Amino acid sequence: MRFVWFWTFWHWSKESFRSGALLRGPLEGIAGHWDEWFRHEAAESDLKAIEEAGRNQSVQREFIAWIFRHWARDTEWRGKRLVPRFVVNQLAGVPPFHQRSAFEKYRTSYRLPGVSALVLGDKSAGMPEDVRPVEAILLPTNATGQPTVSEGFQPDAAELAAARLSAESLLSGKGLLRFLARWIVSGKRPYPRWLSTAVFSGWAALGGLTMFLLLGPEPGDKLYFLCAALVGIWALLILITAAALGWQCFRAWRTGVGFRRQLEVDQVRLRMNGGLALKGGSAGLPFCLNILLALYRACPDGARHSWIWRRFFGELHSNASGWAGTGVITAEGRLTPVVLEPKLHACVKSESIRHVITPRQRGANLDSVDRLIEESPATAKESPTTRLPSPAMRLGFAAEKRRLQIHPCRHIGQAMMAIGFFDDRRQVATNLFAVAISATILMALPDLRSILVPPPAPMAVEPASSSPYYLWVSLDTKYPDCFSAVLESGYWSNRRSDVKLRGGVKPSVRAEIQLHRLIGRTASNNDDGIVWIERRRHFLGREFLPGERVGRYSIVYLTHIGHE
Amino acid sequence: MKIDVPIEQLLRWRLARAEAEAPAPLRAARLLHLARPWWELLPERFDHLIQRLRTIHVEFGHAMADPNQSPTGYRVATLIAGEVENVETAARILYLSAHSARLRMRFELEQRNMPAAIEVTLVDEQTGQPLLCASATLSLESEYRFEVELPPELARSWQRLKVTDRMPFRFLIRAGKDT
Repeated sequence: MRFVWFWTFWHWSKESFRSGALLRGPLEGIAGHWDEWFRHEAAESDLKAIEEAGRNQSVQREFIAWIFRHWARDTEWRGKRLVPRFVVNQLAGVPPFHQRSAFEKYRTSYRLPGVSALVLGDKSAGMPEDVRPVEAILLPTNATGQPTVSEGFQPDAAELAAARLSAESLLSGKGLLRFLARWIVSGKRPYPRWLSTAVFSGWAALGGLTMFLLLGPEPGDKLYFLCAALVGIWALLILITAAALGWQCFRAWRTGVGFRRQLEVDQVRLRMNGGLALKGGSAGLPFCLNILLALYRACPDGARHSWIWRRFFGELHSNASGWAGTGVITAEGRLTPVVLEPKLHACVKSESIRHVITPRQRGANLDSVDRLIEESPATAKESPTTRLPSPAMRLGFAAEKRRLQIHPCRHIGQAMMAIGFFDDRRQVATNLFAVAISATILMALPDLRSILVPPPAPMAVEPASSSPYYLWVSLDTKYPDCFSAVLESGYWSNRRSDVKLRGGVKPSVRAEIQLHRLIGRTASNNDDGIVWIERRRHFLGREFLPGERVGRYSIVYLTHIGHE
Repeated sequence: MKIDVPIEQLLRWRLARAEAEAPAPLRAARLLHLARPWWELLPERFDHLIQRLRTIHVEFGHAMADPNQSPTGYRVATLIAGEVENVETAARILYLSAHSARLRMRFELEQRNMPAAIEVTLVDEQTGQPLLCASATLSLESEYRFEVELPPELARSWQRLKVTDRMPFRFLIRAGKDT
């Protein structure tokens, strides 16, 4: 109970808020409330104890640790990780804490590095100082109805609103849909290595089977099994892929909805030191990204069910200080062009920035960055002036050349792809291959169906040919392409004819066989001959050897059908 | 140099010297003049500012969607009387305590980049009459505080005033050399 005076203050603050003496909630307005209590309300004994708590740095640190470990647990915000950090930051700016050294590091920062904003100073052509660290924190309170509060700078209110709306859109709106569409096309998958290999092998096998069926030797009796394997593997791969993608999209949407609900009730506080009055809206993109980061930091467990969000937030959380962003963002998450060259200059000169997100516009490419790096005086070779302890020693330069990565984006969803390093060229290649194979199989689906599930055997029906030189084999089938008629005779020359839908005076589905008498045969045998109905088997443009014979008719029957 | 001077003689010498260097005392009339509030000294300017202040309309249109939304307080119409121009703005009362005939108040100005010390005159919302005047100092970013003695009639009527109530006054703020 060493710091019981803080509880005294806290209860005064809560009671004053309840009675209507304070406008802001105890947490939201803690700095002003403390200032008022410390100046006018604190008892003599409290003031002594407060002075005692600042006696030396060790006791000061003890108080900070107490706020983090004990006070935060006993309030209604138990488990809200950012609350004690906010409290310490706010107290660090008011007496007597503003003069205490242990609070120094909390005075101008929440110590939660975020994505830096590229905001040019007055008449600046791009200096390292123009890369401005932005921090965001989420407070589980919003008593004054201000959803987004700026600290240390004066923004345009509309800009903050747009950043917040675009963050909401990315969490569970059109922004997330755009991201998911992009991720499905070219995003890294959360499969284990064996499954990735299996899926890739499956598509490769399908490619091989397709080529074999199109160009390989005549398969004969194996055709059925080959086609069954083709359709089976394809259906399995489609099922696995659709299930995996669907599940990930569903989890991402559910997780996004949860985060969005959190964002709708909480207050976001954005901090950018320097007291700038922002002109223009190019800081909208980093504000949006930092709002998302604040959500994750407030509740990291919220992302545990979604691999997509876990990966994105994990990368953003651990590498945020290496990222900078610029771009005017709309409420729907679109990025519109900004002044770019001086900002890239600033990034090149900055020591900490490794990646920069910009709108997709002229000058937003690696060539521009390389040119700026070449022009930068920092890249000019410096002569080694380090004094070595011994003349025999020599310097060995093993420094890695720093390269600024630029990520031009049209939409916040694209920025999410870049930050989460979701882009995967191998996956793009696999997807293209899969699409090509699937398109081929879909085109060949009627052919495959006729092989795997053959249509019923047709019956010969009228009309018969009225010409003595033609034999008509009319069939009652909806699948004329699947059948052909073969004439076998000792009198007439053998012929094969495809069954087609034919027009004329008597339209029907039929095969027309022209009758040619063999040399040396007498007219008495002109009824000699059998017409077989055979199944045709083809795959896209390739026709295989005929399949099963499903009908047998004599010439007499076919010529007299309908004339009995 | 003579060093064995008695301390009494030394103190007398120092007093005589301080009196000789001190500025002449102000006349009683001048002191009375300085004790008068500024609106009595500059009535025309005050009238002009009051007319301008009374034209400011700061009203809320309540279009609440959430029934549980906390009250956010009323904004107080504020006129910042500058040396060159007057700026219309609004203030939000953050803390208000009117007990024991003393008024303690903290407020946040919507206008940024204001000096650390300003003079606040509370003007009656209905009549436009000046109620009291106080010096406010910057406490946090754009947050000012002041403490002032309340006239008995105000002390009675403001005792139950809450920050979420509509304020019975407007702010006239002077921040410049003439304060």
